[in-house]
Amino acid sequence: MSDHTVKVRVTDLHKSYGDTEVLKGLNLEVQDNEVVCMIGPSGSGKSTFLRCLTDLEMPTKGQVIINDHDLSDAKTNLNLVRENIGMVFQHFNLFPHLTVLQNITLAPIQLKKMTPSEAEASARELLAQVGLADKADVKPNSLSGGQQQRVAIARALAMHPKIMLFDEPTSALDPEMVGDVLGVMKQLAQDGMTMIVVTHEMGFAKEVADRVVFMADGLIQESGTPAHIFEHPQNPRLQDFLQKVINV
Amino acid sequence: MKKWQVAVIVLLATLGSWVGLATQAHAAKYTIATDTTFAPFEFQVKGGKYKGIDIDLLQAIAKKEHFTYQLKALSFNAAVQQLSANQVDGVIAGMNITSARKATFDFSKPYYSSGVVMAVTKDSSVKNFKQLKGKTVALKTGTAGATFGKSIQAKYGFKIKYFNDSNTMYNDVKVGNSVACFEDYPVMSYGIKNGIPLKIVSKQHEAGDYGFAVKKGKNAALLKKFNAGLAAIKADGTYQKILNRYLHAKESSITGETASSRTFFGLFSQNLNTLGKGLWMTMELTIISIILATILGLILGVLGVMPGKLGPAISSTLIYIFRGMPLMVLAFFIYIGIPDLIGHGFKIPAFIAGMITLMLNEGAYTGAFVKGGFQAVDAGQMEAARSLGLPYWKAMRKVVMPQGIRIMIPSFINQFIITLKDTSILSVIGIVELTQTGTLIIARNFEGFKIWLMIAIIYLIIITLLTWLSNWVQRRIN
Repeated sequence: MSDHTVKVRVTDLHKSYGDTEVLKGLNLEVQDNEVVCMIGPSGSGKSTFLRCLTDLEMPTKGQVIINDHDLSDAKTNLNLVRENIGMVFQHFNLFPHLTVLQNITLAPIQLKKMTPSEAEASARELLAQVGLADKADVKPNSLSGGQQQRVAIARALAMHPKIMLFDEPTSALDPEMVGDVLGVMKQLAQDGMTMIVVTHEMGFAKEVADRVVFMADGLIQESGTPAHIFEHPQNPRLQDFLQKVINV
Repeated sequence: MKKWQVAVIVLLATLGSWVGLATQAHAAKYTIATDTTFAPFEFQVKGGKYKGIDIDLLQAIAKKEHFTYQLKALSFNAAVQQLSANQVDGVIAGMNITSARKATFDFSKPYYSSGVVMAVTKDSSVKNFKQLKGKTVALKTGTAGATFGKSIQAKYGFKIKYFNDSNTMYNDVKVGNSVACFEDYPVMSYGIKNGIPLKIVSKQHEAGDYGFAVKKGKNAALLKKFNAGLAAIKADGTYQKILNRYLHAKESSITGETASSRTFFGLFSQNLNTLGKGLWMTMELTIISIILATILGLILGVLGVMPGKLGPAISSTLIYIFRGMPLMVLAFFIYIGIPDLIGHGFKIPAFIAGMITLMLNEGAYTGAFVKGGFQAVDAGQMEAARSLGLPYWKAMRKVVMPQGIRIMIPSFINQFIITLKDTSILSVIGIVELTQTGTLIIARNFEGFKIWLMIAIIYLIIITLLTWLSNWVQRRIN
C-alpha cells in the first residue's frame, strides 16, 4: 500500500449466514484522522460490517484492508492486527472478575510486555481522561452503564490503537448516561483519532462526524458530509429514515 | 516452574511408583484367588488376614511343594471370571467340581466332599421342600447350593433370588424376605455355630466335591504340585488337623473375638484397625481420582468449547461413552476385559484399574459441566478479549476460564462427594475399601446392623468434612 493516509479500505464486502445475505457488496474507504458515523435502520448490517473489520465475523466474499493489513490474507497475524484496533461494544463486555484497573492493564501486560507498574500508571492516566480516576479498584458490576462504557473505552485506548471502532456504544445506556460517553468520544475525535461509529445518536453524528454513511438492506445507500446527509438527503429510504428518527 | 507444574510432576511420579510396586508384588510365583466370605473355607479375621480350610490347605501344600503364591481375595464370581480371563493362576474357593466347569477349568483331585442343606429361620415352620411353593428362596451365585436349588425349582414351584455373598443371603432369610436358603453343609453348620440365627432342616443332598481349579490347558505344573502336596498332607496328618481346626471349633477360638465385645463400641474398637485401613483406601482412591478426573474433565471441557469441529467431537464422544457406562461395567471392563483382550499375561492391579475407572467416569461428568460452565460465560467476553489482541488460549485462560470455573464450583463439590461414594462400587473388583471392609467384617461376626451403621456414619463424617472444606475453598475464591 502506497497511500498511507487510507486507514480502512473495504472492497465488495459480502457476508451471508446460511441463505440470508446480510452484507451485499460494500465499498468504503476511511482516511487517517477521519470520523465516520454509520446510521441506518436496525438489521441493515451496520454492526456486522463493523465486526468484519476485526474478523470477529469472517466475510463471505470481498476484501478488508485495515492499518495496511489484508484480513483475507492467510499470512496476516490477526492478533497483531487486533492489537492496533480499539473495539467498543454495545454491552461494554468488561471482564467482571477483574477490577477496573485490571481490565485496562490485562492486554498491555500480556501483549506489550509492560511491567505491571508501567501499565498501571498509564491505566490511571486513561481513567482520569475518561473521568473515573476514583474507580480504579472497584469491580465493573458496581459501576453504572455509562461508567462501564467509559472504562471499556479506556481499556481499548490502553493498547494505543490506530483506529477505534464503536458498535452502538450508547444504545444500552440510560438517557442520562449517554452524554458522558459521547463527551469522551468527542474528545477522542478532537485529538485526531480515526473512528468508525455505528450509532443512533444523530446529534453526535451531525456535530462530530466528518462523514456520515447511511446503510440499509446490506448496502451503503448514501454517504456524505453531515450537512449533505441531514439537510439534503437524496435517497428516498434515507429521507424516510430521517423523518422517523427526528419525529421520535 | 510454576506450582501446578510441580504438583503434576509429583503426582505422576507417585503414580509411577505405585505401578512399579504393583508390578513387584506380582513377583510371587503364582497368584491364587479365593472367595472373601465362605467360612470355614475362607474368611477374614481380625486385622484383615484370611484364614480357613482352603487357606490353610493351600499354605501347607505350598510348603510341601516349595512354591510361593500371592493370595487374592475376591467375590467368588470375580475369582472365577479372573481365572477364565487368565488374570490369576488358580482358584481355591470351596469350588464344586461340575461337568460344566470342567469345560473351562482343570480341577485337582477332590480335597473335600460336601452336600447341600436347606436352612430356615429358627422359628420357621418350613420343614421340607414342598412347603416352599410360591415362596422365595435365597441362593448364592455359582455355588452347589444354587445349582441344587435351580434343579428342584420347577418341581417345588418356588421363586429364586440370587446373592453374591453368603452373608447377604443369610440376612435375606433372617429378615424374612426369603423363607430359606441352600448352602453347603460345612459352611452352614459353621455359620450357625457362630451366631447365624438359622437352623438346618434337610439332610445333605447332591453331595459334591471341592477342587482347586486352574484354567483349562494352563498351569499343569501347578495342578500337579497341588495334587502331590494334597496327597502328602493327607498322609502325614496335616490335612485332618486343618479340618478339625475349623469344623470342630467355635469361631471365637480362631478369631479371638469374645461375646462381650459385641456392643457397638466394642465392635468399633475391635475393628478400628481394619476400618482404618478400609477408610484409608477409600480416601486414597477418592483423592487421586478427584485430581485425575478434574484434570481429564478440564481437558474435555476445553476441547468441548474449542473452535473447529475436531475438539468438540472428541469431547462429546468421550463424555458420551464414559458417562453412559455404569461404573461397575466400566470397572469390570478395565480390570477383566482389557487384560483378556490384550492377553500375554498382561495384568492391571486392582487399585490402578479402580483409579482409571473413576478417572474416566467422574472425568466424563466433570467434562460435561466444565464445558457447560465455559459455555455459560457470555460470548462477548471472548470477543472483547480477542478484540484486544489476546490469542485464543490466553483469552481462554485469563478471561473465560476464571469466570467459568466460578460457575462450576458447586458442581465440582457435588462431583467430589459422588466420587467418594462411588469408590464403594470398586469393591466388586476386590479393592478392600470401606464398604468391602464392612462386608468382610460382617462375614466374620454377622453383626450386619451395627457394622453397616458404623460404615454409614464414617461416610457421613467424611462427606461432611469434604463439604466444609469445599465451602471454605468456595468462599476463598469468591
